[in-house]
Amino acid sequence: MIEFIDIHKRFGSNVVLDGVSITVDTGQVLYIIGASGAGKSVLVKHLIGLLRPDSGRIILDGEDITWLDEEGFYPIRRKCAMVFQNSTLFDSMTLLENVMLPLRKHHKMGRKEAAKAARAKLELVNMDRDADQYPAAIGDGLRKRVAIARALTLDPQFVIFDEPTTGLDPMAAATVDDLIRSLRSDAGVTCVVVSHDLRSIFTVADRIAMIYKGKIRLDGTPEQFRNSDDGVIHQFVNGLPEGPMSV
Amino acid sequence: MNASTTNFFEAIGAPVVDIARAWGSMFGCGLRTLRAIAMARIAWREVIHQSYLIGNRSVPFITVTLGFLGMISVYQVAMQIKQIIPDFTMLGPAFIQIMIREFAPTITGLMIATRVGSGIAAEIGSMTVTEQVDALRMCNADPIVYLIVPRAIACMVMVLMLSIYAVLVSTISGMLMANGAFDINMRTFLSLQLTNGDDIVIGAVKALAYGFSIPIIAGNAGLTTSGGSEGVGWATTRAVVSTSFAVVVLDFLISAAGYIFT
Ligand SMILES: Nc1ncnc2c1ncn2[C@@H]1O[C@H](COP(=O)(O)OP(=O)(O)OP(=O)(O)O)[C@@H](O)[C@H]1O
Ligand SMILES: [Mg+2]
Repeated sequence: MIEFIDIHKRFGSNVVLDGVSITVDTGQVLYIIGASGAGKSVLVKHLIGLLRPDSGRIILDGEDITWLDEEGFYPIRRKCAMVFQNSTLFDSMTLLENVMLPLRKHHKMGRKEAAKAARAKLELVNMDRDADQYPAAIGDGLRKRVAIARALTLDPQFVIFDEPTTGLDPMAAATVDDLIRSLRSDAGVTCVVVSHDLRSIFTVADRIAMIYKGKIRLDGTPEQFRNSDDGVIHQFVNGLPEGPMSV
Repeated sequence: MNASTTNFFEAIGAPVVDIARAWGSMFGCGLRTLRAIAMARIAWREVIHQSYLIGNRSVPFITVTLGFLGMISVYQVAMQIKQIIPDFTMLGPAFIQIMIREFAPTITGLMIATRVGSGIAAEIGSMTVTEQVDALRMCNADPIVYLIVPRAIACMVMVLMLSIYAVLVSTISGMLMANGAFDINMRTFLSLQLTNGDDIVIGAVKALAYGFSIPIIAGNAGLTTSGGSEGVGWATTRAVVSTSFAVVVLDFLISAAGYIFT
């Protein structure tokens, strides 16, 4: 179970999170939505210690991880993986080596063994044929799939996806949606997904939380979001250009 | 307190807090780098690669600048001497002393600050905004160990070597100018009679201090980048300004310490 309790975070004078509380139950898929710059990426990075809150607490499976030091977060990052928004791969390594890296670093695994395990993960996202390519040689959508494979190499209990379907064609996006669903149903993985993709949101999410002006505007089921009469939520879920969120 | 006094204190306080925070993060970065070096957490292959990049980027630059500097300063000084007493015997020894003690390391440091400091800030800054630094941390790889330490070691070694090279280049070009334009004997020019151990120590300490602080300041600017590619531009500018400033301040401090303690 993941608990964010009253998280506040500002950068200089820019208040990004102004008291955000969310709970994600084990085995649940929570979607976090919100406009660009709302602080979705900032929020999820708190869970793995990439950012520290100004105040508030973060509890993972009953353990208060808010003030762990960098080394204290090493075991957390082993069971809680993240797929970054920029589908970040290391340019100097082949795709296979990228996927092997967590195994080599976290488990100190040998080269051969790691390569075998990594290849299996690449198969999961249909990228095993390009294993020996370099990231620069493949497109953005394919890089995203490799980034997902890398996040899954350690068989994490929790996975954070930061906009996993942005920039993918509809078929590839559907593959990612299926992957998230099967992670939940086959492995009982708890997923936190940041997304703008309305179709994925309403087909995969168990629960949705919307961040607006540093606070949670609504935290509820897809049904509650569809039927909400809050103007902000109505505008977002219907993708309307006009409404309270327009500038 | 009414609103306008609060605003007043905020206006004064906010930049002070910002500056304190920037210094804090810079010194923190320096300390963590020293600790990693002390614990021998050093990726030697990366050190060699970085040394190659730094040296390769800087040799032509330093040859040209220090070559001209040597010629110009010898010409200027010799013209002055000629008007007072036409005795050039001390020109070479004094030139060599001040080159070793002051100009070779400091000009080299300034060149590396702009050329290498901007490169480090841009490279690490773009890794930060594209979340590559976050991805490193997710793999338990400390960015200080992987990104800063190799650059710090490489830069210290290279600034020292390039300073020695700068002394050689400027001395040779100065000597040729002295010989060609003022008919000064090359042997007379090439004399170390004014240079002693202290001068060499001070020159070397300067080179090492510049070599350590440039990658720390520039790397820290890179690691604290935010706001996309525009942020990378800002980080680069900030790095060039602060590293050049640091070189000048360190020059002053080390020179002062040199005069007090020797
Ligand atoms: N390291 C940082 N330093 C300073 N400001 C930051 C930092 N990271 C994020 N911000 C700021 O925090 C705000 C929220 O950023 P965040 O990346 O969380 O947005 P987001 O909701 O993920 O948007 P998007 O959909 O565009 O990814 C932005 O204004 C951003 O400029
Ligand atoms: Mg984001």
